[in-house]
Parts: sequence; structure tokens; C-alpha cells
Amino acid sequence: MKLDGKIPEGPLEQKWSLHKKNMKLVAPNNRRKYEVIIVGTGLAGGAAAASLAEMGYKVKSFCIQDSARRAHSIAAQGGINAAKNYPNDGDSVWRLFYDTIKGGDYRSREANVYRLAEVANNIIDQAVAQGVPFAREYSGLLANRSFGGAQVSRTFYARGQTGQQLLLGAYQAMMRQVQEGGVEYFPRHEMLEVVIIDGKARGIITRDLVSGEIVRHEADAVVLATGGYGNVFYLSTNAKNSNVTAAWRAHKKGALFANPCYVQVHPTCIPVSGDYQSKLTLMSESLRNDGRVWVPRKKGDDRHPNDIPDEERYYYLEERYPSFGNLVPRDVASRNAKLVCDEGLGVGETGLAVYLDFRDAIKRDGLDTISAKYGNLFDMYHNIAGENPYKQPMKIYPAVHYTMGGLWVDYNLMTNVPGLFATGEANFSDHGANRLGASALMQGLSDGYFVLPATIGNYLADEEIGKRYGTDHAEFEKAAGEAQAQIDKLLSIKGKRTIVDFHRTLGKIVWDNIGIARNAEDLKKAIKEIQELREEFWTNVYVPGEKNNYNKYLEFAGRVADFFELAELMAKDALDREESCGCHLREEYQSEEGEAIRNDEDFSYVAAWEYQGVNGELKEQLHKENLEFEFVELKQRSYK
Amino acid sequence: MTIHLKYWKQDGPDAQGYFEEKTLDTVNEHMSFLEMLDVLNEELQLEGKDPVEFDYDCREGICGSCNLVINGQAHGPNAKTACCQLHMRTYNDGDHITIEPPRAAAFPVIKDLVVDRSGFDRIIEAGGYVSVKTGSAQEANSTPIEKHSSDMAFDYATCIGCGACVAACPNASASLFTGAKIAHLNKMPQGEVERYDRVVAMVDQMKEEGFGDCSNYGECEAVCPQGISISAIAEMRRDYVKAMFS
Amino acid sequence: MPSLKQALSSQVGRKIMTGITGIGLMLFLIGHLGGNLTIFGTADAFNIYTKTLMDLGPLLYVIEAGLAFFFLYHTVLGVSIWLGRRKARPQGYDTYKTKGGTSHQSLASRSMIISGSVMFIFLILHIIHFKFGADYTTMIDGEQARDLRKLVIEEFQKTWVVIGYVFVLVLAILHLSHGFWSAFTSLGMKHGETSKKVQLAAYAFGIILMLGFIFIPVYIYITGGEGSLISY
Ligand SMILES: Cc1cc2nc3c(=O)[nH]c(=O)nc-3n(C[C@H](O)[C@H](O)[C@H](O)COP(=O)(O)OP(=O)(O)OC[C@H]3O[C@@H](n4cnc5c(N)ncnc54)[C@H](O)[C@@H]3O)c2cc1C
Ligand code: HEM
Ligand code: HEM
Ligand code: SF4
Ligand code: F3S
Ligand code: FES
Repeated sequence: MKLDGKIPEGPLEQKWSLHKKNMKLVAPNNRRKYEVIIVGTGLAGGAAAASLAEMGYKVKSFCIQDSARRAHSIAAQGGINAAKNYPNDGDSVWRLFYDTIKGGDYRSREANVYRLAEVANNIIDQAVAQGVPFAREYSGLLANRSFGGAQVSRTFYARGQTGQQLLLGAYQAMMRQVQEGGVEYFPRHEMLEVVIIDGKARGIITRDLVSGEIVRHEADAVVLATGGYGNVFYLSTNAKNSNVTAAWRAHKKGALFANPCYVQVHPTCIPVSGDYQSKLTLMSESLRNDGRVWVPRKKGDDRHPNDIPDEERYYYLEERYPSFGNLVPRDVASRNAKLVCDEGLGVGETGLAVYLDFRDAIKRDGLDTISAKYGNLFDMYHNIAGENPYKQPMKIYPAVHYTMGGLWVDYNLMTNVPGLFATGEANFSDHGANRLGASALMQGLSDGYFVLPATIGNYLADEEIGKRYGTDHAEFEKAAGEAQAQIDKLLSIKGKRTIVDFHRTLGKIVWDNIGIARNAEDLKKAIKEIQELREEFWTNVYVPGEKNNYNKYLEFAGRVADFFELAELMAKDALDREESCGCHLREEYQSEEGEAIRNDEDFSYVAAWEYQGVNGELKEQLHKENLEFEFVELKQRSYK
Repeated sequence: MTIHLKYWKQDGPDAQGYFEEKTLDTVNEHMSFLEMLDVLNEELQLEGKDPVEFDYDCREGICGSCNLVINGQAHGPNAKTACCQLHMRTYNDGDHITIEPPRAAAFPVIKDLVVDRSGFDRIIEAGGYVSVKTGSAQEANSTPIEKHSSDMAFDYATCIGCGACVAACPNASASLFTGAKIAHLNKMPQGEVERYDRVVAMVDQMKEEGFGDCSNYGECEAVCPQGISISAIAEMRRDYVKAMFS
Repeated sequence: MPSLKQALSSQVGRKIMTGITGIGLMLFLIGHLGGNLTIFGTADAFNIYTKTLMDLGPLLYVIEAGLAFFFLYHTVLGVSIWLGRRKARPQGYDTYKTKGGTSHQSLASRSMIISGSVMFIFLILHIIHFKFGADYTTMIDGEQARDLRKLVIEEFQKTWVVIGYVFVLVLAILHLSHGFWSAFTSLGMKHGETSKKVQLAAYAFGIILMLGFIFIPVYIYITGGEGSLISY
């Protein structure tokens, strides 16, 4: 299979506009004759549903939650980037593009990233017009802040609830279309299969999560905007319902899965406190602007942190990276936290935490200033951890946060299966091997509001108007049968171990071996362990309840089953990529000081995997899409 | 610590509900309330019993999925805290805890503690948006908005749609939820054009959904995890009156 | 623009109307107390006051009709709001507790229907009692007039009447101490400092007004109608 990214010709700055000019259009009166299924109502899915329906297409929108407004995007705190250059600090579309390419450690497509940077400004306009209450200056104009170590202030934000406000904007726009009849809305529906007829995506199979009914939906195109797969780790900052099922089932039907091993670990999260823990909570990255990260120099120093004198504190980021200090990028900060804890210097009951200390900041700026900046974060920490961060350092530890990998898509956001599109975190497209802060919201909305509405028309224009195979077509029959069979199978095992128990065990294998740092030996071991555990899962899992009723554990069982397969692919991908890049640190490929070493010669490609079956072992075929860099020069990242 | 639980079980919307009781001995003070329920469900499953269903997603207090009435209080005893952010250190060893779903005709029970809140979606559908087509927006900074109004709009916009206001309101009124969206949009110039149609449509929809009238009990504000002020309801009423004369 | 019918039947409209009628009734009460206190004025003051009212003739009927409309409208709305909560929550909680804090749930707010209903029954009895009570007459400025003063003083010699009045008037304190605040809120008062002051004013209003009313039967009863405040 030859992977064609369909990157348009022309100079970087004009690729997108030329492409839009050349694309085929669907006449407005014909649009209502086309139906588009959009799975997911996060920023990517919600924005697309609203926009496509406004254009006149018939949209069917699906989500797992009881309301579209609850999609995982709601949890994003920090902000959204755009190169508006309002602060006049030298920002430009080019600079945003360049930072994003570099931040991704040169493992993304230039053309995609440039388009993202270009479209970002329109996102802000759109959101403001919808009434999103972004932070403002006293002048009444929009405020910006610098975020995630960027050298310019280009992040738009709405207190610590940017994702919420942006999502509500998209949700409201979508609900308006529901009212007007352009969107048919299916909350509490989980997509279980894609239906492919004559090589094209023509529909999906869903389970009505309330009645348990397996339902068939036919359309002219299918969009998966189903988010990331961070929950394969069991513990992550993702919402509990985030999962890989939609993407994975599409993968099993032929869609390629790209770069599965690229997983971002966020350095500042509240550490794990015990086995019962169900998810991890992110503390905004902005805390590192004022907090100092340290561990005791002595192993097993169990004095209260406030009693440890300065000379016995190891401010490891400041010592190792004098110029960036506590503000090194996420991957570097996370890796170093793991390193010191592996050396046995970690703090807290589990030894898996480091201190984030505001003592000096409070001394310097006063309690009031610090509290004005971070008050709500401090309260949140206090509430969860039960310790007062004004009085003693916070304990933090890295946690899985975002997955750069996902379904392979071309420049038009279409997978290799015609008619099947993937947007937002569900695709692999724009962040390479590492995502910069405040850029996921940007990507989701850019895909949903601006890219997909243009490119889907280009696809539909070639499709016969009103062509329907009928949902009793053999392929629908087959896919519905498969969905039902898996559910029946899961319920029939009636084993001894709970789903959560399996998921937690799987998560630990994945975290220990495919987490912050990886090596060949561990990865091979992990593959074996995953396979064994998967075998056991299919013979010994206990799934309670019945299929024709609301049954959350049954939902989770199906998702965990998919995580088992995905986990193996992640390990394979990580094993295959014999270099370190971005978040993917292979211990074999690092400098003596522990810095990542990229191998552009051999690995400057997108690893896109083709599913070939599971039988004890997961069989996947690798396809490579080479990344060409015409406009930027590849450099080794350094934050020393 | 040991906690004695009493929780609502109901097989479906039309089924007769009942309480079930169970004592947990392995509760840890650092657990969140929902994690304690996870532990309950693990134990129930190991005993071969059906777990109790409850709604959740983010477990960070922002998605608004969780909505339990704990010892008679929506989201439990702490102010401005969603029940997923409530921690067991709030309780003492040996405490008895009763857990019920939000009870309202407009929120029919789906199963156990899970209810159908789609009425809220339909209230938003009725007018909780600004009609702007994608791509037709003007430059973002062309309309400055006074910081104060924008901050105020934000305060109302933070509603997470959890429905605790309805659960706690003695009348099962949705006024705080509806008022919050109306106040958010009507405080911003973007929402100005549709402001009167919006308020009338959304207020009508509340009634249509079977929520009760508001008697100004103010309990909604007290339980709201986002601390949304009942001034939202005042804003709604003002706009409604203005709509009558517009 | 909503139609009037739509507006009045909307949840906002209903509440605004309880507020407006409630405020109207409170204004009536202020006037009524003022009038009633003339019983402590000169010997004829009270009867002059009632006569003046009656001399209004047809105008009085219009005022009375308005008053009756306010009462009935207020009552219908109050009862219907109360009935609505049954419908909005058919199944109640096993355990229910207010969260305190900024909540305005209180004995007063939760018993509006009880205090209101008692007042409603009281009103019927009260009107039968005085308006349609014994028709004593007296002479004022050479004209014959109804001696309501005598009737009032006589009635308030009866223990059960006084106990009944005081009971109702205490309930009225409850009704007003939430109602006064609530009415402003219904009419769009926002929360914050003003609202807190209005709540204090509501307590003050309810208590002062009703102490005023209570004073009349209690004083007359204790002094047997011959106290020094009452001149002959
Ligand atoms: C705590 C936290 C903070 C963050 N902060 C920031 C930030 O400050 N800035 C930033 O840019 N990014 C941030 N991110 C990342 C960003 O929020 C996400 O990457 C982004 O929101 C993903 O959006 P999405 O639309 O692709 O998917 P999601 O929002 O995850 O939506 C997925 C949707 O798919 C649905 N779905 C999934 N599977 C199925 C199925 N099988 N059937 C039916 N429906 C399905 C779900 O119901 C949901 O509606 C943060 C992430 C986290 C976890
Ligand atoms: C002189 C007599 C009365 C006065 C001064 C009075 C005053 C008020 C006021 C000011 C309010 C607040 C209105 C609002 O919240 O907007 C109120 C509410 C109420 N009144 Fe009265 N009222 C009187 C008589 C009655 C009567 C006879 C009833 C009959 C049942 C009644 C029942 C109620 C009820 C139930 C409420 C609460 C309404 C709600 O829940 O929203 N009241 N009253
Ligand atoms: C102790 C206190 C009170 C006294 C002495 C008193 C006395 C009177 C008298 C003498 C009348 C007859 C007036 C007439 O026929 O012209 C009257 C009428 C009336 N009273 Fe009172 N009253 C008292 C308390 C109240 C209260 C608390 C209310 C309301 C809740 C009330 C409501 C009315 C009404 C509605 C009428 C009829 C008015 C009319 O039809 O013109 N009174 N009262
Ligand atoms: S107003 Fe508050 S309590 Fe009501 S739905 Fe919104 S966040 Fe929940
Ligand atoms: S508690 Fe209910 S009565 Fe009104 S003020 Fe809040 S909605
Ligand atoms: S689970 Fe999201 S708010 Fe509680």
C-alpha cells in the first residue's frame, strides 16, 4: 500500500488556499441529500456537526455521554493558541507553525501544521462571535498569556476553563442545528463498528446505552472525532469514558493506525495515592512559572519538606537545564521526574512524587500575588490531596495526558478508507512526536470548523446523490452481528476477575514499559505480558448485568478488550522506532547526559500500521509515510 | 474506615425502586466519593451481585456528569464541590450515608442513580446559543467588551449542567440552570440581537419539560458546584420583562 | 414579544405576579394598620376613618374588587406553585437537608403555603367578623355611622378571638419575612449587598408591621378596652 498524504502543491503559505480553490463543491440544494455521521461531540466533532449542518448537510451526531456538552474536551484548562499577535511581541503564523513543528520534534507534516497555524486565527474569531467569554484586558480587548514555555504570548484563555467554554460554544452551535433539524442527535450511543460497502465507509453500528439495542445507521460519509486513547494506561488525566473503541474498530476494518507509541506525559499532576485511584488530575502547567521543582538529595530522607535545608534540596531541573530551568518542555520535565524517582529520591508514601515548591515565590511576591495567580489551583490541590500548598510544597508526578498517535489521515483528514474521516485527537495528524501546550484545542476546532467542512464536500461531490444500500445490506448485517457477538461473548464468560482489575493490571504494564522511557527489552517483555493477560481476559473476566439495560460495566468491558490490542500495537511501534523523538524516549538512544537522540536518516516517517488479525498475537503490517521537510531545517532540540 | 451505605436501586424508568444497604470496611480517607462507590461495585461484583449504576466522566468537577444526592444534599455536604471532588476525609469512621438520584419528573431515572437530563439539552436547543455561521465571524477584537461584563458573563458561563440545582430545589425548578445560560449570553454584545427571543423560548421550554416554578428558595445557589449566583434568575426575569415590552 | 397570556402563564410571569400582588397586599396592610391604629386616637377617629372609606361609595367597591382580585390572584398563584412542586417531583427524597450557606430555605420560606393558607381562612372569618359583623351605630358630625370601634373593642375582649388573631399575625410575620425579600427577587433584584439588606428589611418589616397589628387586640384585651391609650 502506497500512502499518499495528498499534500497540495505550491508554496507552504498558499497550500491551503490553493487547495480550497481547487476543491470540488456540492451545490447548496444538493447538500441536504447527503448524510454525514459524526461520532463524538468534543471540540472536533461538535464543531464539525454544527458547521456541516449549517452548510446544509444532514448530520447524525453520536456521543457516549448523556449530553454532547460533556465530551472530554470540557476538561481542558490552560488555553488555545493563535498567532493573532495582539501583544505585538513578534508572533506570526510562521512562528506558530515553526514552534509546533519543532515542538513535535520534526515528526509531523509541514503542510498540515502550517494550515493549523493559519486557521487558528479564525477559530478565535469564531469562538468570540459565539459568545465564548475569553479573558480580557481592562481595555476590553482580548488578553493573551504565554504558555508551555512559548517565547511569545499567544495563548487565549478563559480562566482555567478554556476547554469548557470552547466546547460549550461548539455544543450550543450544534444544539441550534438540532433545533433546526440539521442535526439528528444521539447521546448515550456508543459506536461499535464501521460499515464498509464496496470499499467505502457507509455507516456505523451503535449500541443504545440505555436500551442496549444494537442500531444501524447509514450515511454518505463517516467522521470519527472520538478523542484519544490515553486511558489504555488505566490512570490518565482523560475522562473515564475516553476510549479507543471507535478508532480501533475502524482500524480492524482497514483504517491504518499511525504512531501509536507517541503518548504525551504531563509533568504536573497530582500523584497516585493508592490502588483504588480511578484517574489522575492535572495541575496546570502554569504552576511551573513560579514553583520550583525539587527532591531531597539524600535517599529516604523522610523529614518534613519544610525542615529540609536548601543545601540538601536537589533542584534538579534548575541544575540540569540552567537556561530553561523549571520551564523545560513537558517531555523533558516528565522524564527527569521519573529519573530522580528511579534513583530513589522520590517523595511521598509511594516514592513516586517530587516537590513543587512555592515557598520562594511567596517570599518574593507575597501570598496575595501568588494566591491571585493560582488560588483556584491551590484550592483544587488542597481539596484532592488534603494538604495546604501555601504551607508546604505540592507533590506532583507525571501522568499520561494526550495521545499524538491515532488514525492515519491524509491532508483532507480522510483515512485510507474512502469516506471515513478522523478529526481531533482521534487522528495522528498535527503534533508529531510531542504536542505543545494549548494546541490540541486549536487542532480540534480547526479540524471541526474549518478543515473538514471544506474537504468533506470535495469527497461527497464525487458520490452519487442519495445512494442508499439499505441497512439490511449484508455488510450491515455482518457488522451488527459482530457487535452483538462480542457483547454476548463478554457476558457469557462469567469469570473471576473484574474488568477494572484487568484494566488496572494492563495499565500498569503499559505505564511501566511503554511510559516515559522505553527500551527494547522491556517492550518485548510487555508484549508477552499483554498477550498473556489478554488471553486471561477472554476466559476469566466477570461482566455483570445484562445486555438489554443500562450497563456501564459492559461498555467498559468492550473498551478494555480494545485497549488490550492497542497496547500490543503501541509496544510494537515503540520497539520498531529505534530512535528517541519527542515523547518517545528509547533508553538505548540517548546522549550521556540523558538527552534524546533523533535519527532523521532512518526514522523521519509516519509509522502507519495495518491490522491483520489477532490470534494470541496481534499481527500488523507497517507502512511508512516519509516526512519531507522543504521549509524548515531539522535541528536537535536543546533546552540546556 | 468503615462506612455504612444505603443506596437507591431501580431497574428502569418504570420499575419500582428500593434501597439497598451495604457496609464497606476498606474505605480510605483519600478516596474520592466516586472511588468509594467503585470499591463498593468491585465488592458487589465479587459477590456475584449487580453493581450500582451512577453517572460520571471527568471526575474533575467540570463535565457535570456526576449528580448524586448524598444524605439529602446534592453533591454532598461541601460547598462548591461536585461529588466527584468530594473526598472521604469529609466523613468519619462509622458514618451512615444515604445516596439517592436527583429526583424530578423532568429527570426520569434510567437505572439506579442514573437519570435522564436531556431536558437541559432541549432548554439550550430552544435558544441557548448565538446564531453565527461558521466562517462568517468578524475579527475577534473588533468588539471590545468591558472587562467587568465579560467577567460576569464568565461567572454565569461556568455552569456544568449537572442538575444539582434541580435536585436540591424544593420545587425541582431549572431556573438557575436556565438563568445562567441566559445571563451569560445576554451579558455579552454577541448575545444582544437574540436576547429577547432567547429568554422567552428558554423560559417556555423549562415549563414544557416539567420543571417546577422558582419560589426563590436559593437552595440551588448553595448546592451549585460552580457557585452560580441566583442573580442569574434575576437576570432572566429582567430580560423576560423587557422582552414583553420589546 | 410574548403574548400577555403566554407571559402570565410562564414561570417567570407567574412569579412576577406573586411578587406584584404580594407587594400590593403588603401596601394594603400598611394602610390597614395605619387605619386600625386610629383606634388609639380621639374617640371618633376610628369611626371617622371607616366612615370616610364607606363614603367613597362606588369607588370603594372598585377598590375592594381590586383588593379581592389581588388576594385571589395571589392565592391562586401561591397554591398553584405549591401544587406544581408535587408534579415536578412526584417522588420525594428519603433524606433531604438544606446545604445552608447562601440558601434562603428557612422555616419562613418553606411554610409560605401554610402561613398563606391560614391567612386566607383568617381573612374570610375576619371579613365576616368585622365587615359583616354586628351593626352598631353612632353619630359622627350629625350623620349616622357604623360604630366599628365598639365592635372591635367588644370582639377583642374574647380570649379565643385574641388568641386566634395573635396566632395568625405571628404566622404573618413568617410570611412577610420571606415574602418581602422574595417579592423583590421575583421582580429582578440581584444578589449581593442589596439583597442582604432587603432580607434584613424583610425581617424588620414583618416584625414591626405585625407587632403593630398584634398590639391592637392584645392591648384591648389586657386593658379590657379601657386602657389609657383609648380615649372616650
Ligand atoms: C486535563 C486536560 C487538560 C487539557 N488542557 C488542554 C489545554 O489547555 N489546551 C489544549 O490545547 N489542550 C488541552 N488538553 C487536550 C485536549 O483537551 C484534547 O486533546 C481535546 O479536547 C480532544 O478533543 P476531541 O474533540 O478530539 O475529542 P474529545 O473531546 O475527547 O471527544 C471525544 C468524543 O467522542 C465520543 N466518543 C468516543 N468514543 C465513542 C464511541 N465509540 N461512540 C460514540 N462516541 C464516542 C465521546 O463521547 C466524546 O464526545 C487537555 C486535556 C486534558 C485531559
Ligand atoms: C395580606 C396577605 C398577604 C401578603 C401581604 C402576602 C405577601 C406575600 C409576598 C410578598 C410573597 C412573596 C412573593 C414572591 O415571592 O414573589 C408571598 C408569597 C406567597 N404567598 Fe402570600 N401574601 C399574603 C397572603 C397570602 C395568602 C392568602 C396565601 C394563600 C395561600 C398566600 C400564599 C403565598 C405563597 C404560597 C407564597 C409563596 C409563593 C412561591 O412559592 O413562590 N399568601 N406572599
Ligand atoms: C388586629 C388587627 C386588625 C384589625 C383591628 C382589623 C380590623 C378591620 C376592620 C374593622 C375591618 C372592617 C373595615 C370595613 O368594613 O370597612 C377590616 C377589614 C379588612 N381587614 Fe382587617 N383588621 C386587622 C387585621 C387584618 C389583617 C392581618 C389582614 C390581612 C391579612 C386584614 C385584612 C382585612 C381585609 C382584607 C378587610 C376587608 C377590607 C374591605 O373589604 O374594605 N385585617 N379589618
Ligand atoms: S447551575 Fe450549578 S447546579 Fe445547576 S446545572 Fe449549572 S452547575 Fe449544576
Ligand atoms: S432552589 Fe429553587 S426555588 Fe428558585 S431560587 Fe433556586 S430554583
Ligand atoms: S464526573 Fe465530571 S463533574 Fe463529576
